[in-house]
Amino acid sequence: MNFLKIEDEMKYFQKMFILRKEIENFLFEEGYMNIEPSIFEEYDEFTSVNSRIDKKSTVKILGSNSDILILSPDITTGIINKFMPRWDYDLMLKIFYYGKTYKYNGTGIKENREIGVELIGDKNPDVDQDILETAERIISRYSDKFLFEIGNSKFLKGIMSACSFNKEDHDNILDLLYLKNKQELSDYLSGLKYREPMATLSNILDLEGTFEEVTGKLKDLYLNEMMKTGLEELKKVDDYMKNITDKISYDLSMVSELSYYDGIIFRGYVQGSNKEIIRGGRYDSFTEQFGVKIPAIGFTVELDELLKVVQGGMTWV
Amino acid sequence: MGLTIAIPKGRLGNKVIEILKAAGVGNSIDEDSRKLIFNNEKQNVEFILLKNSDVITYVENGIADIGISGKDMIMESSGDFYELYKMNIGRCKMSVAGFKGKKVFKDDTILKVATKYPETARRFFNSRGQKIKIIKLNGSIELAPILGLSDVIVDIVETGNTLKANGLEVFEDMYDISAVIISNKISYKFKRKEIKEIIELIRREDRNGQID
Repeated sequence: MNFLKIEDEMKYFQKMFILRKEIENFLFEEGYMNIEPSIFEEYDEFTSVNSRIDKKSTVKILGSNSDILILSPDITTGIINKFMPRWDYDLMLKIFYYGKTYKYNGTGIKENREIGVELIGDKNPDVDQDILETAERIISRYSDKFLFEIGNSKFLKGIMSACSFNKEDHDNILDLLYLKNKQELSDYLSGLKYREPMATLSNILDLEGTFEEVTGKLKDLYLNEMMKTGLEELKKVDDYMKNITDKISYDLSMVSELSYYDGIIFRGYVQGSNKEIIRGGRYDSFTEQFGVKIPAIGFTVELDELLKVVQGGMTWV
Repeated sequence: MGLTIAIPKGRLGNKVIEILKAAGVGNSIDEDSRKLIFNNEKQNVEFILLKNSDVITYVENGIADIGISGKDMIMESSGDFYELYKMNIGRCKMSVAGFKGKKVFKDDTILKVATKYPETARRFFNSRGQKIKIIKLNGSIELAPILGLSDVIVDIVETGNTLKANGLEVFEDMYDISAVIISNKISYKFKRKEIKEIIELIRREDRNGQID
């Protein structure tokens, strides 16, 4: 971030400080414990668990043994890598952190300030709702023109595994879903060997809107157990969040850049901002890579973008 | 909630404006005037006329909610936006062309490729395992092989007449190109209904206008 005047820079960082303290205090009072994340990750380890991440965008560093490290593009990965090998089965962690993530954005290295929240080991069935409510309480404090977009990766995973695509087709299809490119998706699918769930897959981009709208479009569509579980989890969220239904939109085709999500995924937006402010979801299967499947869910708040919203349209160079 | 729509200037843009007018939303646009912003207050839509290569930039940054851009521009950009509807207008092909009869692919030498679309060309030849050197040009691409600047060209081919007139021919069609309605991702979250409505209006006229 560049400032012409030192005064502007000071103002910016004072406001950032206040914003950060407000959110940190709120989380602390909610019973979350603070940790300090590491800024380094091992390149191979990171890219193997996050296959959809753009490898070119990672900021690499050469270690003393010529091992490749990267500046963390995603803090959750680092936390899980650090805690899981030492995990005790009965442990329950409620943590938050302030940290920076790093990415190349074409012109240089982009630093991103964020506050993250993770709930690891909590077996309570209402955790999805609780974490969404925490996210909602943070964003609604700064704007009443916010919107949550909620999906469940089990729905897409369920249908994709029923189609048993090879890796290349699987990735190409996810890319087209990510672009919401319905025509090219149907074209692509019609070029593959026909499998029954594919008809539903080519319509998955229409499965968005309120929960009633989405379930209304599910008639006659292919559903397997995994997809049904995904829908049930969303139904519970929808029942719980009834007081803000006008601020919630469901999208069953939601594809995340980070591939470890397994269950509910959500993003929070504020009108007038051109970036997502909250991003999160459940990632139990990520912990499974370390041996035992531990329930885990979390989200991050993009502080720089949120500060822009707080400023009310005031822009910083 | 109002919608801002980015329209490219030029031949493609004129067809788009024609469709918008037929769909009953674009009547406020006067393509003969020098104005670049047109307001349709009744339907709460604003149109901005831009150079075709800037449509993506305006949509990506949220200045325009949706825009109409050629698929060639989209493939060349690495932008983050939705591709919501592929139109029937602006149809052509992106092709590899060169002198008649000259062998191209899997040559042991490095193929020199002149093009306006370096990223797309690189991706295509990469997938073929063909080593290339890109020569980036901004216009009159057909001249490059004739004057010995490149072995082949990668360009948009509509009728093939320009190629023929210069003694060149298409070796291989790479991609189908047409106009695409793209959307800013955040706009789509907040204005999905409005965006889908306008695409539906455009889609009807877009179908009507095309016989093939």
